[in-house]
Amino acid sequence: MSKDYYLVLSAKYRNNMGENTLIELKGLTKRYGYGDTESFALKDFDLTIKRGEFIMIMGPSGCGKTTLLNIIGLLDRATSGEYILNGEDVAGISARRQAKLRAKKIGFIFQNFNLIEDLPILENVALPLVYTGYSKTARLKNASNALKRFHLQEREYYFPYQLSGGQQQRVAIARAIVGDPEIILADEPTGNLDSRSSHIVMEELKAIHEEGNTIIMVTHNPALTVYATRVINMLDGHIDTDVKTVADANLPQPISVKIKKRQKPETKIELPKEEEKKKTKKHKKSRRKK
Amino acid sequence: MALLIKTHFKLAKTAIKENRTRSFLTCLGIAIGVASIILILSLMGSISNLVKNEINEIGSDLIVVRPSSTKDSVTSIVEELTSSNTFQKSNLSISDVSAIADLEDVAAAAPISVSVNTIASEKNTFSSVPILGTNDDFIKIEPVTFKFGSFLNKANNDKTVVLGSTLSLALFNTINSTVGKTVTIMGEKYMIIGVLDEIEKSINFDNIDLDNALIIDIENLDKLTGSTQIQQINIKASNTDSLAKVSTEIREKLVSEKHGDENFTVSYGDEITHPASSLFTVVSGMLTVVAAISLVVGGIGVMNIMLVSVAERNHEIGIRKAVGASSRNILMQFLFEALILSILGGIFGLVLGYILAFLLSIITPFAPHISIEIILITLLTTFVVGIIFGIYPALKAAAKNPIESLKHYR
Repeated sequence: MSKDYYLVLSAKYRNNMGENTLIELKGLTKRYGYGDTESFALKDFDLTIKRGEFIMIMGPSGCGKTTLLNIIGLLDRATSGEYILNGEDVAGISARRQAKLRAKKIGFIFQNFNLIEDLPILENVALPLVYTGYSKTARLKNASNALKRFHLQEREYYFPYQLSGGQQQRVAIARAIVGDPEIILADEPTGNLDSRSSHIVMEELKAIHEEGNTIIMVTHNPALTVYATRVINMLDGHIDTDVKTVADANLPQPISVKIKKRQKPETKIELPKEEEKKKTKKHKKSRRKK
Repeated sequence: MALLIKTHFKLAKTAIKENRTRSFLTCLGIAIGVASIILILSLMGSISNLVKNEINEIGSDLIVVRPSSTKDSVTSIVEELTSSNTFQKSNLSISDVSAIADLEDVAAAAPISVSVNTIASEKNTFSSVPILGTNDDFIKIEPVTFKFGSFLNKANNDKTVVLGSTLSLALFNTINSTVGKTVTIMGEKYMIIGVLDEIEKSINFDNIDLDNALIIDIENLDKLTGSTQIQQINIKASNTDSLAKVSTEIREKLVSEKHGDENFTVSYGDEITHPASSLFTVVSGMLTVVAAISLVVGGIGVMNIMLVSVAERNHEIGIRKAVGASSRNILMQFLFEALILSILGGIFGLVLGYILAFLLSIITPFAPHISIEIILITLLTTFVVGIIFGIYPALKAAAKNPIESLKHYR
């Protein structure tokens, strides 16, 4: 409860700030190989991302989607170009600073979940906090709260292999948001899941987005674009089409009403709709007051 | 930072627990190396303690002159190990002894000349019996007591010998007095005038087992063999207040006697306890080297297991880096694991080494010598071994590219 409330408040605070730009990429180029074998994963790539956007990046394999995500996530470096995160140029900073930023500002969600098999899920979720200087009790408390949000609190001490794919991915999402990051990067988060689990995972991501989080997601599934506020199609290392479905001024805008209409047959699942609604209401109220 | 160290420690503990057998075997490698070093160090310590105790018994007025080897140590070591005569070549002479004895602050000066020869009685013949050539000052310096008879003196030292108790028993097959009987050395007959009490100290600063030895006047010995090597001169100072001053006097006197050649050492106090025979030092040194090699082998075991661990946990490294671990965090995580493995092995080896030393003390006269220094040095050594052999795998882990590592999933 308190955690959720805090997230809502912090989202509100963020949106009140004058400058709304979170990420600016200018002339980003990523080259592999030299001479004859030279190839570009990204070529003169420009992109501006506002706070509260839910971006879906689509495109054929090999078009540079994952490379883009890795560069935004500071796991990889561009060959040239500028990357401005929160007004700070982070393209040329040291590996150590990059790691620090990864720990504090970025949450990763992967296709294959990437949980550590030897650790119970509670400690998996607490992992990012290890590197941001939380005490052990604070770590586990925060992790426990995050898991509660995804209805996994009874399984805190389960190991990843004891959970289903959908549950594992929810653990991974909990790990991504536990440090309250600025950006959540998801690389085909539903790629290994069946449609039912996919749906649950997407609903969770949507809920997170509605709290004001910025999400950048790579996917192959066009059906999922209904969740996004902006859909980018990539081709050979540059942007092919860039469609915003929601105006910048309305970010983050709950779009749950539309989705429910479209996906009527699927939604009869364990999803806690009441809680979902409550959150939405609270959110609306707080916006109106302003 | 402190929090991180605690976390690294916990992580290492978990990792070690998870691979119990593997970790135990790795620790065992280190433990065997440490145990053998402990065993050797504690035995060496106990030997110098034995000598130290003996010197304390004799008193604090003892000064010892020993020849110092003019050759470099490696050649002399090899020579000693290969030649049948294990006693050092000496440049001290009988006239040096009398020169020292004439000094004002010197109460007594006894040469110690040990050689080996064949001795025959009417009943038995023994080869390789240690023969100690000395003079009547010997008993003024060392507290030997007599079972039968008395020691050599100026009046009776012609063609007479004193026997150690074991030798007397062996030569004549009797525990009764053998005083008055004769033994034959190199065809010459000598009369026994005294038999020593049992001493049961095979290790002392003279480097001779008196129970098994035959004692003869050094001038007699010189006449008999033609040449005598003096391994050591024991000196009792009359002025005990300043042994340093007396030893300087002795040094100056000897230098003038030898026309400036200073190929000897004058030592007193604790310096004497350095085991008299360099052979002993060599053997224990070699054993230490062998033990150190086994420690290195143990260290290689740690490195090996850490490399396996790094390879196995490639995926984990990728995940940790993705969620914000810096290369330094990863380095520390694996270094801690290696350190804990080797220090655990060190503690294990410490216990094992002392247990072995105690077992050995049951069948030998050695008493295991435990000192806090040995324990600290051992733990420090294993710490260093852990760092040396853990740093490479840890660096390898830290250098992993997270994108590549994340692709490697099971």
